[in-house]
Amino acid sequence: MRRRVLRVLRCALLAATLAGLVWPAPVLAATGATLASLGSPSSGDLVEHPAQWDGKVIDFQGEAVGEVMRRGDSAWLHLNDDAYSRKAADDIALAGYNAGQAVWAPSELAAQVKICGDYSHRGDLVHVVGIFHAACPEHGGDMDIHAVKLEVVLPGSPIARAVSGVRAAAAAALSLVAAGLWLLWRRRHRARGRAA
Amino acid sequence: MIIQPRRDDHLVIGKYTGKVIVGVGLLMAVPLALSLVLGEWSVALDFVISSAACFICGFGLQLLCRTERDLGWGHALVVAAGSWLIATLLGALPHSLSGHEGSYLDAVFDVMSGYTTTGLYLIQDLDHVSNGLNMWRHLLTYAGGQGIIVVALTFLFRGSPGAYRLYVGEGKDERLLPNVVQTARAIWIVSLGYLAVGGLVLAAMGWALGQTPLRAFLHGVWVFMGAWSTGGFAPQSYNTMWFHSLAYELVTVAIFVAGSFNFALHWAVWSGNRKELRRNLETVSFAVTLSLTVLVATVALSRLGIYPDAVNLFRKAFYQLASGHTTTGFSTIYSRAFVVQWGPLAMLATTVAMAIGASACSTAGGIKGMRVGVITAGFVADIRRMISPESALIRQRVHHLRDILVDSPLLRSALTVTVAYLTLYGLVAIVGAACGYDFLQAAFEGVSAASNTGLSCGVTAPAMPVVLKVVYTLAMWLGRLEFMSVLALAGYAYAMVRGR
Repeated sequence: MRRRVLRVLRCALLAATLAGLVWPAPVLAATGATLASLGSPSSGDLVEHPAQWDGKVIDFQGEAVGEVMRRGDSAWLHLNDDAYSRKAADDIALAGYNAGQAVWAPSELAAQVKICGDYSHRGDLVHVVGIFHAACPEHGGDMDIHAVKLEVVLPGSPIARAVSGVRAAAAAALSLVAAGLWLLWRRRHRARGRAA
Repeated sequence: MIIQPRRDDHLVIGKYTGKVIVGVGLLMAVPLALSLVLGEWSVALDFVISSAACFICGFGLQLLCRTERDLGWGHALVVAAGSWLIATLLGALPHSLSGHEGSYLDAVFDVMSGYTTTGLYLIQDLDHVSNGLNMWRHLLTYAGGQGIIVVALTFLFRGSPGAYRLYVGEGKDERLLPNVVQTARAIWIVSLGYLAVGGLVLAAMGWALGQTPLRAFLHGVWVFMGAWSTGGFAPQSYNTMWFHSLAYELVTVAIFVAGSFNFALHWAVWSGNRKELRRNLETVSFAVTLSLTVLVATVALSRLGIYPDAVNLFRKAFYQLASGHTTTGFSTIYSRAFVVQWGPLAMLATTVAMAIGASACSTAGGIKGMRVGVITAGFVADIRRMISPESALIRQRVHHLRDILVDSPLLRSALTVTVAYLTLYGLVAIVGAACGYDFLQAAFEGVSAASNTGLSCGVTAPAMPVVLKVVYTLAMWLGRLEFMSVLALAGYAYAMVRGR
C-alpha cells in the first residue's frame, strides 16, 4: 500500500515537472512602445492589489539591483522603488525593507542598464512602461512587468564606504586582548597535558 | 527542595560554554576572509571586532572556569541552551556593526533566526548588503543547521560521555558512529560533501541563467546553505523568485528536501542502505502529509483562479508547501501574496505543513514527521484493538532504521513534545493577535517562527512591536532546541536564585 502511494506520488511529480518544462509559453499580444500607460502604481500597490492592475499597461520606476540576467533575446532585471532608490549615493541611512518588481525586457532595452545596485553601488534609476502580470503565464505564475519601453533616468554611482578609524583602533585593541588570552589558555592547556 | 548549583557546577558550565563560543569566533574567519578578498575593508573590521569579542569571551570563560569535571546531563542541557544564547548575542555584532539593523534587538532576532534555520529577517536594505555579511548570514544558518554544538564538537572537544550529553542537549540523539565526536565529524562530512556538489550545481545554473561568474558562485553557495540547512535565507530580497527558473526551483527543492531528512537516514543511504529511503517512517510520513497539504492548497488556489493554468498553479503551490513543510522558508511569491492572493484555506494548509515540519535529527524544525508517524501508528493500533477480539495481542511497529515497537513510553514521549509545540504555536499566535494582527496572519507567522520555517505573510517587519520581536526570538530558540534545554536553563537560573 505504502509502495503504491509513493509510486503514484512519484508519477504525479514527474508528470507535473515534464509538463512544466514543455508547456508552451503564450506569446504576448501587446508589443511596441506606443501603448498608453494606465497609471504609475508603486510595487506596494501592485502586491496589495494585483487583480486591479493585472494585464494593464503601467509606468514603473526603480533602482536596478543585483544584475541584469540575459536569457536569449530578453533579460530579467529587478527594479526597487523603495525609499533607497530615491536616495543620494552617500546617504546610507535605513528606511525599511526593499520593495520592487521583476521586469522582463528585450535584451537591447535592458542593455541600457550599466550599473546595478549592490554593496558598492547605487544602481541606475530605470523607468519602464510595460504590461503588469499578477501571475505571468509565460513565467511560471511569477508577478512581473513585461517592458515595452525602458530608459535610464539617472545613472548609478559608487557608494563611498569609508573605514572608521575608531573601529580600526577597537579591532586592534580587542585582537591584542584576544591573542593574549589565547596564549595564556594555550600555556595552561599544555601544562595540564604534561601533568596528565 | 530546590538545590542551589555549587561552584563546581558553574565552573563546568562556564568551561564548556567557552569552548562553544570559541567555535563561533572561528566561524567568523570565513566571512572575514571573503571580505578581505573582495576588498570590503570596513566589513572586515567588523568581523575582526566580532571574532575578537568571541575569543575574549570564550578563552576568558575557559581560563576562569578551570575544572576537570565532565558534563552531567543537567550541565549539558544548560550549556546547550546557554551557549546558543551567548552565541546569538555575540553573533549579532557583525549585523549590528553593518548599519543594516534598526536596533541590536533586530540583529539578535536575525542571528537567532539564522542559527535556528528559521529564515525570518529584520535586516533592512538587504539588496545593498555586503558580500561578507551575506556570507555570515548564510554560514550562520548552515552551521546552525548542523548545530553549533556539533561545530564545537567537531573541532574543540574530545569524545566523552559529557560530549554526548551536550550533543543530545542540542535536540539530536542519533549516534551514527560509536563516538560522538566521530558522529559530529560524520555530520560535517555529509554536509560538506553536499555543499561541494550542490553549491557548484547551483553556481553553474546561476551562470547559465545570466549571473556573472562571481555572483553565480556566491549565490550558489549561499542558496545551497539556505536550502540544505532548511534556513531559507537568500542574498536578495526577492528570495528564490530572483532566478525566475523552474530548473533552479527544482534543484533547490531537491536540496531542501534532502536537508530536511534525518542525518541517520543520510548516513544509512551513504552506507549503501538505499531501501531505507522509502521504508523510513519519516519519509513516508512526509510524503503523505506533504501530498495532503499540497492538495488542499491546490484546490483552494484553483477555486480562486489566480494562476493562469494548472501547471503554474501546481508549481507555485508545490514550491511554497514543500518549502513550508521542510521548514525551509524559500518562497517564489511575495510575502503579502499569501494574504492577498492565496486566501485563508491555502494559508491554513501552509500553516499546517509548517507546524508538522520535517525529520527529527535533521536541520529542520516543527513537530517532526517521526512524532506524527508514531502518534498515527498508536492511533491505528488503538482502532485495531477496538475491533479485534479481547484476547488478540495487537503490536504496532514503525520502521526507522530498524523496526520499532510503538509502546506507551514511545507514544507518551511523542505526545508530550507534540503538545508542547502546539502550546507554543498557540501562545505565539495569541501574542500576535494581541498586538493587533489578524488571527490567521498571526497564527501563520507565529507557527512559522516557532517551527523554524521562515515563510512570512508580512507580519515580520522592522516596525513590528518590540514584544513580538522578543516573543518570536524566544519561540525560534525554544522550537529549535525542542524545549528541554531552554527549560533546563530556566530551571538553573531559578535554582541559583531560590535554591538552598
